[in-house]
Amino acid sequence: MKRYLARKVLIYLLTFWVAVTIDWAIPRFMPGDPIERLMSRMQAQPSAEHALTGYYTKAFGFDVPVWRQYLNFWAALFHGDLGRSVANFPTSVSSLIFGALPYTLALLVPAILLSFWAGNKVGALAARRRTLDNTVLPASYVLTATPQMWLGIVLAWVFATTLGWLPVSGAYDLSMQPAWTLEFARSFLLHWILPFLALFLVAFGGWAIGMRNMIIYELEADYSNYLASLGAPQKLVRKYAYRNALLPQVTGLALALGAVVAGAIVVEIVFAYPGLGTLTLSAIQNRDYFLIQGIFLLLIVGVLIANFVIDIAYVFIDPRTRIGMQGGA
Amino acid sequence: MTAVKKRRAAALGLVVAAVVTGTMLVTTGAGAKESSALALPRAQTLYMSGNQWSPNNDLNPAKNWDYVTGLVGFVYETPFRYDPLADKFIPWLATGGSWTSKTTYVMHVRQGVKWSDGKPLTAQDVKYSFDITNIPTHPQHPLWADTGLASTKVSGHDVVFTFKGTPGYQEFDFYRFNVAIVPQHVFKQYSATELTTSNLENTRNIVGTGPYRYKSGFGASSETMVWQKRLNWWATKALGLSVKPKYVVDIKNGTNAAALSNLLAGNIDLFNNFAPKSAISKRFKTYYGAAPYHLGANTTWLFPNTTRKPLNDAQFRRALAFSIDMGQILDKAYQGLVNKASPTGLLPIWDKWVDKSAVAKYGFSYSPAKAKSLLAAAGYKDVNGDGYVENKDGSKIELSIVVPNGWSDWMTAIQVISSSAKAVGIHLVPGFPEYGTLTDDRGHSRFDLLLGNDRQMSNTPWTYYQYIYNLPIADNQATMNYERFTDQPAWTLTNQLKRTKTSDAAAYKAVMSKLQTTFMQKLPVIPLWYNGMWSMVNTTYWTNWPSAKGLQYTPSSWRNYWQMTSIDMLTHLKPVSTT
Repeated sequence: MKRYLARKVLIYLLTFWVAVTIDWAIPRFMPGDPIERLMSRMQAQPSAEHALTGYYTKAFGFDVPVWRQYLNFWAALFHGDLGRSVANFPTSVSSLIFGALPYTLALLVPAILLSFWAGNKVGALAARRRTLDNTVLPASYVLTATPQMWLGIVLAWVFATTLGWLPVSGAYDLSMQPAWTLEFARSFLLHWILPFLALFLVAFGGWAIGMRNMIIYELEADYSNYLASLGAPQKLVRKYAYRNALLPQVTGLALALGAVVAGAIVVEIVFAYPGLGTLTLSAIQNRDYFLIQGIFLLLIVGVLIANFVIDIAYVFIDPRTRIGMQGGA
Repeated sequence: MTAVKKRRAAALGLVVAAVVTGTMLVTTGAGAKESSALALPRAQTLYMSGNQWSPNNDLNPAKNWDYVTGLVGFVYETPFRYDPLADKFIPWLATGGSWTSKTTYVMHVRQGVKWSDGKPLTAQDVKYSFDITNIPTHPQHPLWADTGLASTKVSGHDVVFTFKGTPGYQEFDFYRFNVAIVPQHVFKQYSATELTTSNLENTRNIVGTGPYRYKSGFGASSETMVWQKRLNWWATKALGLSVKPKYVVDIKNGTNAAALSNLLAGNIDLFNNFAPKSAISKRFKTYYGAAPYHLGANTTWLFPNTTRKPLNDAQFRRALAFSIDMGQILDKAYQGLVNKASPTGLLPIWDKWVDKSAVAKYGFSYSPAKAKSLLAAAGYKDVNGDGYVENKDGSKIELSIVVPNGWSDWMTAIQVISSSAKAVGIHLVPGFPEYGTLTDDRGHSRFDLLLGNDRQMSNTPWTYYQYIYNLPIADNQATMNYERFTDQPAWTLTNQLKRTKTSDAAAYKAVMSKLQTTFMQKLPVIPLWYNGMWSMVNTTYWTNWPSAKGLQYTPSSWRNYWQMTSIDMLTHLKPVSTT
């Protein structure tokens, strides 16, 4: 177990280093100089441009050689400093990210967990049950093949524009500011429903299909046949099949949760939801080096932690891993 | 369901509920602390959108491309305002001003004006506000660097501006309505760097003379900025003016589509984003009742790279100008929502300076025949019979024409330009690079042809000529003369225009004529159409909006328009109901 852990930690550290280095490098080698863009945005007059360019170059640390910028980046990172946004100078990257993160979490965590739970249940039920399979399976295929953005637009059009039951965009009513009141909570929930549904339905279809196929596979496995031939009730056989079928799904769940911080870019954009997805898009559009870096860093850390947790969790939920580690067969 | 399963389901439910609640807690905590969730009374609130793209967290009036909507206009005010539709300066925090000698301007500071913290506005505040623009990193530093301004001093209730040499009158006039007057007693705590580049994020320091005070919404993650009417605005007593909406809510732009659905749902009263023509109705109105519906806010230009062959040839550029089917662009890209530009490129507000005889002689309009004859006369012929003309030395001409990806109206426009150029034998290939790539290439001369529209309406066409002719050419042309056109005589004329008083009409007109003539003869850039001051107003809650037939004010919430006549829009609005 110790060796297993040590090896894993080493691999993760190495992956972290490589990923963060790439994260640092990509925006720097994208075409477009962020300071020139800033000058163009502020329509700086030539007589002010020189001083301004000098100031901002220094403020962003672009005045030192690239290798130095790389070292400075790591040094700042270990101090928890993600730098300042280029497009919204001097706002710090972390304040932008942490301003948007709660919205994304509120949207994605419930969407992922609920769709995982419901999708797996329904998928497992559907397997080998003709009527259910004939209805749930095609419906799931349609759902999972639906682009979230399109579903979002349809939902917005039907429930917001046409029926007028729910608000069309934003995270809360325009006449409000976030506050700890019932009125705000109500507004927040109303605005939350449609983007949540767009995410939930598409993910639901995927989980359901995955589970249905896994269950069929497991029900045909030797242990299932053996159990059935011993006269075990169908319910018990299915229970064991479900446990085994859940393993790959759990991996998928962890990865989905790890990637949560990337936000649901398209859905957030459709609903103008002020989460990380919207922030990511604007960061890329503005060539906002440090903001892009900060968001990707969060994503890297999220995915790595999720993977790590899975690696550890497998030891507990899958006896085969445990036995493998102990040298058994 | 077994008990275990029930427990699991309940646990999952709890997790989900916890996340949603947690988020609300965090957003509530992170958001404005002094805010209230109580919805604002709809009948007394004006909702607007179209200006704010960056986070609502910049309170620095120096950063006039980034500060929260309304900061200048609602809170900080300027010595004068400028009415572009009547071409008239409106005394505001200054009661007037005059040139007492060729190099001395005296500004009379209005008496009886109080800051929102109760302290009086003084001439020293005005001097201080102009003085801080002398910091080299101040975006308005050209006020000192380019106009010849040498010193300021307070004399009683006046501020005296002394210049070295002939002042840049036109540019100084521009700053007369663009320098925000800030309270020295509050701003003195800031360092030079803070004053020019930071966001001055303390909302308690929003101390202004204007009609509104900060209510809520400030913060990087905020979607709306809320202003509340201030009781003791000086203009009520001094000029009998009062802003009608008790609250103004500025909504940060998300996507155009989301904004548009918000407008159509009746949630926005003043919409300053582009909206399709189909959105115009009895309820949603524009400044003009018919085409082009919107005021022209800036000119869209076609920039040729004049350092490259054959775009360095004025005859070729003129031929290209004659080839452009503007009618089709207006129709296809804009559904008639914009007007084609004058061949001089000057905005309609500057019509009185247009030299009509020069336009008749040197102007251009869509004429494929004329374009072809110009090409032939200049020696551009189709040598190899591929339908396109070649360079005079026989080499192929294939020019790229680019606009930022996603700017759909412009994308359509350059497709029309390239197809109408093809009709006269000029080979243009449209391209849609990312905006960042395009600005980078534009600054460093890595393009053939591109579109630009950076200069907004102002008090003087000098800003346009500076945009076109500015010299010397730098390695990076970040904001003007993208076409890298070196025309020393035209640049001298531009500077001469800057140093001519508008009141000296004869001299002013003479310089303007010369500039227009040389411009149209050489066409360093090709004027295309006037981009609209997009403005759609909702008449459900507020009426008496600006319109061509009624109140002629700028119907815009864009930065730098409040100190033109957008504030007059707010003092003239009428609520539909008062409850």
